[in-house]
Amino acid sequence: MHADLVAIGAVVLAAGLLARAGRRIGLPSIPCYLVVGILLGPGTPGPVLIEDPAELSVLAALGLVLLLFHLGVEFPVEQVLGSGRRLFLAAGCYIGLNVTAGLLLGFALGWGTAEALVIAGGLGISSSAIATKLLIELHRLTNAETPVVLGIIVIEDLFLAFYLALLAPVLSDATSPLGFVRDVAISFGFLVLLFAVARYGARAVGALVGSREDELLAVLVVGLVLLVAGLSEQVRVSDAIGALLIGLVISRTRVRERVERLVLPLRDVFAAVFFVTFGLSIDLGALETVALPAAVAVLATLTCNLAAGVVTARLFGLNQRAAANIGLTVLGRGEFSLILVTLAIGAGLDGRIGPFIALYVLGLAVLAPLLAAKSRYLARFIPDGLLRSRWRYVREETISTACTHLDQISVTGTDLRECPQCVAEGHGWVQLRLCLTCGAVGCCDDSVGKHASAHFTRTRHPIVESLEPGEDWRYCYLDRALVRPPLGREPDATPR
Amino acid sequence: MGHGVQVQDLPGIGKRYDLDLGQRAGRISVVVRNDGNRDLYVFTGQSGDPTAVVELTEEQARKLGALLGGTFFEG
Ligand SMILES: [Zn+2]
Ligand SMILES: [Zn+2]
Ligand SMILES: [Zn+2]
Repeated sequence: MHADLVAIGAVVLAAGLLARAGRRIGLPSIPCYLVVGILLGPGTPGPVLIEDPAELSVLAALGLVLLLFHLGVEFPVEQVLGSGRRLFLAAGCYIGLNVTAGLLLGFALGWGTAEALVIAGGLGISSSAIATKLLIELHRLTNAETPVVLGIIVIEDLFLAFYLALLAPVLSDATSPLGFVRDVAISFGFLVLLFAVARYGARAVGALVGSREDELLAVLVVGLVLLVAGLSEQVRVSDAIGALLIGLVISRTRVRERVERLVLPLRDVFAAVFFVTFGLSIDLGALETVALPAAVAVLATLTCNLAAGVVTARLFGLNQRAAANIGLTVLGRGEFSLILVTLAIGAGLDGRIGPFIALYVLGLAVLAPLLAAKSRYLARFIPDGLLRSRWRYVREETISTACTHLDQISVTGTDLRECPQCVAEGHGWVQLRLCLTCGAVGCCDDSVGKHASAHFTRTRHPIVESLEPGEDWRYCYLDRALVRPPLGREPDATPR
Repeated sequence: MGHGVQVQDLPGIGKRYDLDLGQRAGRISVVVRNDGNRDLYVFTGQSGDPTAVVELTEEQARKLGALLGGTFFEG
């Protein structure tokens, strides 16, 4: 049967219009698309524009594939690898808490082991799209915690890739343990192959699709992506992973930026169809039966996110406001949860996870913007003792320094008023600086000795504070940036 | 110290550029997003919350740049 263009057009238009209306009250797009699908689908009383969601299955699959392909293309490999121990700890804590909670809840629901694993992923991975939009719309791009939030999102994307690979054999219909092992081997072998292509064959792939004309580049890339995604599906690795990895391959070619730009509008359109189609398959009656588990899941995610926010703020030396911002910005769930569940349902898992995740995503997609905008009030209730007990925090203030070494501050004052090295060498100095890591005092760069800079070069202690009367600025040598208060500083020089 | 332009990566969004105007005058941050849009954050005083935030398209940013650079005198 041919898909009915009138119906598809009407549904997509309605989805776009609702998302546009939702913008006025700060709603992200994904819940709007879902709601339109649910309302106009066969499972809900009222107008039914599309009787059979399967009519849209090819377009929706295109949406899923392009979502993951684009993720792969813009995946910042170097940034992840260079992001340092603290960020991996923070992201690990965030993912660990949420996935564990999801796994526990999944097993408690008793829908099955594979279902529990899917729920763990669906609850564990936040929506990059929602988090990024929130940061832009709440004017938080220059906040001190924003690079940390973005770093966590990037590591989550990496986790998603591995989780998809892990899930592929679980979702296949292998009955014997041997078949299961074989599927794992094939799945990871295929991953290794594509990684090898990304590493060594990117130039050849770039030459294959790298037309100078935008038109041909778009056609060639979309063709290649669909082919690889389809082949992956055939060797029982999901099309999702294939798309993600061919994205990684393209990201290492010189056409990367053009592909990113050309594929973006395609991705947005077909992703919208994907979300609407997901909504179409949801039965309003089924939503009621999963309302309680979905509510529990929302509360569990909220709790885990806040805990992870506090841990992250502690790791990076940030204050309460930043802790609340971190936890609440990455609260939204969206594209990845829906992709995982789509794969699961396609593999014939318990159908109840569909409405369950739909309701969960809807709940959090509405809650996340509301709560993130009000993080100030939450910050009031986080006690100082959860962060660094030696600091006194200005809990509700935004920290907007570009420095990311606030955790290395452990000294906040001194009564020393001389440069010991200059005294020893028998000459004077212009101004004094205090090392906030160890408390050493040295003279500034306008002095003969330049002992403060020398101290940094020797010890790599990054942040100094001016000891000039009336001045309270701090400077980070590593970021070459002024570190402005409030930093959770002690107002008086004597530590508590 | 610290009176040049500092750059910070914002993975997935773009780059942040900070221009320090000195202790009293404050700071201007420009975020150049990967999609071409710019966000102009203006900070005055000691608060970490921006005094004003302006979102500019690439075109608007170019015009503003020309105005600030003094090369754009026609009405
Ligand atoms: Zn720093
Ligand atoms: Zn000295
Ligand atoms: Zn030191």
